[in-house]
Amino acid sequence: MRRYPEAESVDMLIVGCGAGGTTLAQRLARRGWRVVVLEAGPFWDPDRDWVSDEAGSRNLYWTEPRVIGGSDPVELGKNNSGRGVGGSMVHFAGFAPRFHPSDFEVKSRDGVAADWPISYEELRPHYEALEQELPVAGEHWPWGDPHGYPHSPHPVGGGALRMIEGAERCGIEMRVGPVAIANGSFGNRPHCIYRGLCLQGCKVGAKGSPLVTHLPDALAHGVEVRAECMATRVEIDEAGRATGVTYFHEGEEHFQAAEAVAVAGYSIETPRLLLHSTSARFPNGLANGSDLVGRGVMVQGAPQVGGRFPEELRMYKAPPPEIASEQFYETDASRGFARGFSIQTVGPLPIGWAEHVLADGHWGQSLREYMRDYNHWYVIGALSELLPLPGNRVTLADETDANGMPVARMDYSQCDNDRANIAFGKERMREIVRAAGAQDVLEIDRYAHLVGGCPMSGSPESGVVDSDQRVWEVPNLFVADGSVMPTQGSANPALTIMALSARLAERLAAKRAGQGSERREAVSA
Amino acid sequence: MSRDPGHLPAFGGTEPGGPPAGLPRQRRGTTPQMRGRYPDYDVLAETSHWDEATRRVVLDRVERVPPIRFFDEAEAATLGAFCDVVLAQDAEPRIPVLAMVDEKLAERRGEGYRHADMPSDRETWREVARMLDAAAAAEGAESFATAGREAQLRIVQRFSEGELAWEGCPVDKAWGVAMRDLLGAFYSHPWAWNEIGFGGPAYPRGYARLGAGQREHWESPPQFERDPVRDVDERGLE
Repeated sequence: MRRYPEAESVDMLIVGCGAGGTTLAQRLARRGWRVVVLEAGPFWDPDRDWVSDEAGSRNLYWTEPRVIGGSDPVELGKNNSGRGVGGSMVHFAGFAPRFHPSDFEVKSRDGVAADWPISYEELRPHYEALEQELPVAGEHWPWGDPHGYPHSPHPVGGGALRMIEGAERCGIEMRVGPVAIANGSFGNRPHCIYRGLCLQGCKVGAKGSPLVTHLPDALAHGVEVRAECMATRVEIDEAGRATGVTYFHEGEEHFQAAEAVAVAGYSIETPRLLLHSTSARFPNGLANGSDLVGRGVMVQGAPQVGGRFPEELRMYKAPPPEIASEQFYETDASRGFARGFSIQTVGPLPIGWAEHVLADGHWGQSLREYMRDYNHWYVIGALSELLPLPGNRVTLADETDANGMPVARMDYSQCDNDRANIAFGKERMREIVRAAGAQDVLEIDRYAHLVGGCPMSGSPESGVVDSDQRVWEVPNLFVADGSVMPTQGSANPALTIMALSARLAERLAAKRAGQGSERREAVSA
Repeated sequence: MSRDPGHLPAFGGTEPGGPPAGLPRQRRGTTPQMRGRYPDYDVLAETSHWDEATRRVVLDRVERVPPIRFFDEAEAATLGAFCDVVLAQDAEPRIPVLAMVDEKLAERRGEGYRHADMPSDRETWREVARMLDAAAAAEGAESFATAGREAQLRIVQRFSEGELAWEGCPVDKAWGVAMRDLLGAFYSHPWAWNEIGFGGPAYPRGYARLGAGQREHWESPPQFERDPVRDVDERGLE
């Protein structure tokens, strides 16, 4: 791996080596940019560091202290926050759907939330490229902008087949995929072995995450990844331009100089870093002149419904992401709420399933009895599009971490539209599970996926970054992660985060053709 | 008791809320309390098929029970009794869940969040011990550990419903913190995997037989089957 001296001002310094940061680094490095990526977590060696075990995988998650509040608080950590090279995609299930064209104009169409300053058409070529690069496997996808996938669908387990049948009886179509798991070996990546531990880091290397999909190419093109480096401040000069990033490595403070900085720490850590980067010029934090940093942070509602079947289904086998439906994705006025949800499979392992059983009110003998029945259950879940609300926000707490940096606080409360959406989705799932022949049903309310908090917008008053993900207030500072999403659809966000970074790299490169000074020009244009 | 166990796959034990009548004794390997639906299944017979990193992590849970370092003696007695009730561990062998939680707290391993109106997980667990003892005292017992079984069940039932009175922290969230840690400990243990017939780690071997009713050659069929819906109907339990 190439190394850059800290005093050398690299072309782009990226904070965070996940879906957004890694894709941006790889795309820029291919265009000749000198790129350094700071990552708070470790540089994984999957053979040594990862285990085929639910509880043993806790190191994959961001387990540093954070505070949660609001009337519907979101538990952070294992369900939604990654740490280490590869980011949250290391432990994402693997679903890699596109957003729908409607997602980019929900204000115009449905009168809620905000339109994006870019359209679906601007992301489409990047979706297409990334589906090849990950690659994504699945059936032809009839929803949103209909499209096919480069790899054919994976075989599914007995439980998923039951659900396909059940859904069909309810007039609901479910299809296999789309998952970022190669169907067959792919380059030097082995094929999937259906061991079911996708959420615990794919030790096999079959499931796509930046660690195996884009990082190797980034390193081959001269990117330096500096792992276990926790960024604490983006520094600004008197002219209001970013000069680089202060970070801690093994308790020592460092500074890396850069011509441009891209923050890619995701929806909690990106706002935290910006809010903590105060200066005389920006006393309320960087990019926060309109008091919008951290606001509109979103999660999807992710209620799950499990059904008990006479035969053993052993839902721990096969990747948890097996089949999905986007039939309820769009607004349908007859339902009484705006926007919609998708339905997907879940495949919880024993600890995850025990949490379901507990949520249904069982403990003691009753819990043990339900758990002894684990092999007879199968679970589907919804991803409900919850709306971005200004009161849902990331702020700095009074408590500080080991580096003296205030930890993040996330407040979250649902609105009536959110509650109606979740309730409707649960009702449809109960119908599917019962129509599939379930003898008994259990359900749990939970959340999935973080996005938003630094929304892109058409004007400085309405967002944090412009349509090129450039911070409105700082000409050479960018945000390159899921926090720029003004809305979230009911699609898993990973593919869209990558597509946004691929587009950003293209936009940056389009403004220059050569080296050095032209590059600096590009980032300050 | 918690939600009527008549709803469950095989209710009908010799005592109310006990394990179901006819649930087999474990014949191979170990399960908590040596009962299980898969009496001839031992996931620990498969360790030679696991990768080294996984083997180390899982076997550690069986072979290296950490000493209690974080809780004091009285807290450990109270919380040990609580663990037994809430996980229905009424006999040996027990999965040493309290020792597993104690180690986590001693090493300050966090989960990545704390509710704004809650103390740290470490302090929450101590509050739970104080709360249980106070509830036991209100029932005339010296401590939760020495309260009778019926009193313990009543107290845990009220705890689970958020109905214990306590100033120290919100009771419903304390239940959530405690149960998250306990379920994480109990169902990470290979003895619990034996009890529920979970195939366990499968790298590098993988799973091949994914269909309904299919099993890998090393997996074992359940030896105790009762269709819960039929069972419940027949006996008029719901």
